[in-house]
Amino acid sequence: MDTDVLIIGAGPAGIVAAIETASKGLNVTIIDESNLLGGQLRQQTQMLQSLPSPYQSMRGFELAQDLTNQLTQFPIRYLLEHRIIGIYANGSLGITDELNVFPIMAKKIIVATGATENAISFPKWTLPGIMTIGAAQTLVNRDFVIPGKSAVIVGSTDFAMDIIHQLIDVGINIKGIIEQQPTIQAREMKKVNELYDIGLPFYVNASIKEARGIGEVKEVDIQLQDRVFTEYVDLVLVDGGRSPILDLFYQLNCSFGFGDKLGGWVPSYNQSFQTSVNDVFIAGNATGISVHGALLITGKIAATSVCEELEVLSREEAEKQSAELWKELESREYTDVFQERIKHIESYKSPMLKNQFIS
Amino acid sequence: MHIENHPVLGKQLQKPVTVYFNNQPLLAYKQQTVAAALIANGIKKLGESRKLVQSRGLFCSRGRCCSCYMTIDGENHVRSCMTKVKDGMQIYQSLGDPEIRSDENGY
Ligand SMILES: Cc1cc2nc3c(=O)[nH]c(=O)nc-3n(C[C@H](O)[C@H](O)[C@H](O)COP(=O)(O)OP(=O)(O)OC[C@H]3O[C@@H](n4cnc5c(N)ncnc54)[C@H](O)[C@@H]3O)c2cc1C
Ligand code: FES
Repeated sequence: MDTDVLIIGAGPAGIVAAIETASKGLNVTIIDESNLLGGQLRQQTQMLQSLPSPYQSMRGFELAQDLTNQLTQFPIRYLLEHRIIGIYANGSLGITDELNVFPIMAKKIIVATGATENAISFPKWTLPGIMTIGAAQTLVNRDFVIPGKSAVIVGSTDFAMDIIHQLIDVGINIKGIIEQQPTIQAREMKKVNELYDIGLPFYVNASIKEARGIGEVKEVDIQLQDRVFTEYVDLVLVDGGRSPILDLFYQLNCSFGFGDKLGGWVPSYNQSFQTSVNDVFIAGNATGISVHGALLITGKIAATSVCEELEVLSREEAEKQSAELWKELESREYTDVFQERIKHIESYKSPMLKNQFIS
Repeated sequence: MHIENHPVLGKQLQKPVTVYFNNQPLLAYKQQTVAAALIANGIKKLGESRKLVQSRGLFCSRGRCCSCYMTIDGENHVRSCMTKVKDGMQIYQSLGDPEIRSDENGY
């Protein structure tokens, strides 16, 4: 199987990259291991702010649907419920549908495999009922299942604030938000204040000392600065931040840099969103954790670079388009994240890690 | 518990199916994953860890952590968070070491 552009990951960034490249007449294939297009947007019911034009403010799953609808205008090949599991010596990628493995040869690859949530460990953190906060969001908004009656939340980012609202709306009793740092981590104070106003307890300088239960979590000890107390809950939801998924980048032999604000280890890339491997480009949260508007723009920039390399866009046009997109990216992204992205790009030529597995 | 009427998405659970956990019938709905359907029925313990025999349940719901391995329709070590329910599915907890190499499995 041959294709001009292979897009790995059908989240918002991958879909935008597919629309941009297919609209220039390139032959595009999208592969995703799940059975639906839209990636992690599918279970997001919160309103997304600051999307780039022409998008209006809408809910996450609505944006997923909107992007998916746009794709139908183009003759794109879909390989849903397929995964890349390796690279052949001739550079083609090994793809599996879990039964068979077959090769696909792509002129250019855009990897948009997104991010994963990090764990927070404490004694007995592996008990059933303790899960990532995104997992709880998925149960509620995608599977239509209530994961438990009452919960404590460990972590306090914007991501958690959005999801806490969604959990309360289906009747889950939130008994407290536990933050290890001296201040709440969320930047959008409006959502935090709404939770204060309905009386949710926020504990800072706090952590879980221990979870207990036989076969599933029943209680947790919460360590404050001056005392320890016990809450009886059947859910502990951890918000340990998110980091880019790196598996495929290792396999493709990409180099890596490190940026705390970008979510930790991040594949190296330049201004064109080209990784250290010539034909491999990158987009979305894989380039560093950011807001939705910014993710869409990274998909467009990567696609613009691919269109230029495959000569369906002239160099001048591509440069002009990219410059405008970069300006927009700067205006959409939190300043400290954008600055770290720039620093990451500046270290493209001298990556921290090459040919090394990070575990 | 299943969410019959979601505050934002409305009534989404349309196609009921029956799955069997330890041979007991449970109500699930077509778009749900195995792990989600079990949690809806109050079952959180999906297996045990091999070495220290600790309870394991759904953790990431994304197919990345492998905490949700179960035996599904005779196949061991299937990620139950990435597998959709099917009518008549037979589901068991992942306990002890699975048989990976056997004639049946094509070794
Ligand atoms: C459970 C969860 C909940 C989230 N909820 C929120 C939220 O409420 N608010 C927020 O701002 N952000 C949230 N995020 C962050 C999320 O990363 C972004 O919102 C956004 O979806 C990222 O877009 P993306 O296109 O970069 O990647 P994604 O949307 O993550 O899409 C990546 C796609 O790549 C596929 N994929 C990954 N690896 C492979 C492979 N090897 N082979 C084939 N396919 C592969 C995945 O199946 C997925 O569909 C959440 C993340 C997770 C994991
Ligand atoms: S819960 Fe993590 S792989 Fe299934």
